Amino acid sequence: MKKIKIIGGITWAIACLILIIILFPGLNSFSASVSRLPFMKINPRLSGGEIAYEIVAKSCTLDIRQPVFNGLFKERNSGFVQIDWRGEVPGIIKDSIDFNRDGKKDFCIIVNRKESKTDLFAFNSKVRSLIISTPTSYGWAARVELVK
Amino acid sequence: MDNSLKISGMEKSFWKSLLFSLPMILITFMFITGGRPNFSDPYEAIALLSVFLLVNILFFLMHFSGKTDRYRAVLFILFAFSLSYTLIRNMLEIRHSMSFSQADLLECKIPFCHLVIPMMILPAAFTKSIIFPGSIISGFANISSMVVLWITATIVLGRGFCSWGCFYGGWDDGFSRVRKKPVIKKINSLWKWMPFAVLLMVALSAALTMLPTYCDWLCPFKTVTEFEKVTSVESAAKAGVFLTLFGGLVVVLPVMTRKRTQCSFLCPLGAVNSLSNKITPFTVKIDKTACTQCFKCVEACPLYALTKEDVNAGKVSVFCSKCGKCVDACSKKAIHYGIKGIPAGTMKSFSRNLFLFVSFLFMAIFSSGAIISTLQNLLKLIF
Repeated sequence: MKKIKIIGGITWAIACLILIIILFPGLNSFSASVSRLPFMKINPRLSGGEIAYEIVAKSCTLDIRQPVFNGLFKERNSGFVQIDWRGEVPGIIKDSIDFNRDGKKDFCIIVNRKESKTDLFAFNSKVRSLIISTPTSYGWAARVELVK
Repeated sequence: MDNSLKISGMEKSFWKSLLFSLPMILITFMFITGGRPNFSDPYEAIALLSVFLLVNILFFLMHFSGKTDRYRAVLFILFAFSLSYTLIRNMLEIRHSMSFSQADLLECKIPFCHLVIPMMILPAAFTKSIIFPGSIISGFANISSMVVLWITATIVLGRGFCSWGCFYGGWDDGFSRVRKKPVIKKINSLWKWMPFAVLLMVALSAALTMLPTYCDWLCPFKTVTEFEKVTSVESAAKAGVFLTLFGGLVVVLPVMTRKRTQCSFLCPLGAVNSLSNKITPFTVKIDKTACTQCFKCVEACPLYALTKEDVNAGKVSVFCSKCGKCVDACSKKAIHYGIKGIPAGTMKSFSRNLFLFVSFLFMAIFSSGAIISTLQNLLKLIF
């Protein structure tokens, strides 16, 4: 029994040595495999959610994302919808958004990029307030608070 | 006669250590230079060569002198400093600030670090998603690479990760070496359970809020990496908390106690790594027959991992990070690196050599990129 324990310990230690030696040359391939695991995606609360639909204008594209309400076990009562303007975004943005695609505009957002000022006009009682309105590397992004 | 014997013994020991270091020299050469050293940039060449030499000299000295901690600490502290330096320099170049903006958060551009891992587990299990605004696979410090590095190091080293792989640990390790004698000698060792309480708190709060709460509110290392731009009372409060924790647990208390107080009393990943000490084959063993119960090892332990009761029982606790301080402190060699399954007091040299090779190789390769980049940049600044 004692010998088996010793052999087991040494074998495990040598396996660990091999693991460390192959870790760095294989890091890219191991990381790629890990990235394909089902849970390896950023939570929509942080990523902003999937793009629901996009409106293409002359110089820029408006992405309206899926509303995000997710919680640990079930959906929450409060959430947000993120909208992104990509490309050559004009100095003043004025867009009316139908985030739930029911054919009615839910809110209107006006962004004055020069003054970094954003106004939100809600047409739907589920639309609450502006959470974030910020310049990004691709243009501009805003998050609007929603309730269910 | 005695002198010539001593010299020939040392010579033998020198060649033995050099032979032992040869595989490390070859492997680190391959990893540090990529197998094809490029000497077109003289600063890069000097940095590369210096780091290669430093790493291998330290490893050689570990074997030759029989001491572990003092040589480990050189690379460990240098790693912590270099990583912070490189990260801050990159951020200042790209963002002109150490703080990140709302846009960086929205675009998931925050570099990932291993301290997030304890908070990821519950949300990943229940929502199949990661609650960190970083990149899954591309770019610097992406989530997948860091997870792979941490999991492998934790399986192999257990809590040894905290002394051989963590790029923050070097900060409090460094400050704990500033004074020769501690000012505060006694801290209730029950505090060492605190990381488990922090782990529970951050794991639950992160799951409930779906946000990395430890990174948001507690992580003291934001002081030496990056932090949220102060634009509101909330962000100012967050800055106050992490600066206080850094000042208290990473600078002041380590200086006063000569212990790694952040690692001992706060780090939630340290708690997870303590549990992984059960998996790793490497451990620290106490040979009760050789122990004279001087308890110098208890005094030396920087993580409150060793108590007099542990020594009397001949077992180190799960908090041990295998830094080697206790091993170096024992004049009787009663406390030594070991491999699970091998009885205490036997195969000491084999166990130590195997552990040192594995742990030092990990640290050398993991740290070399940051140290080379720092050295290269400093050379450019000076000349």
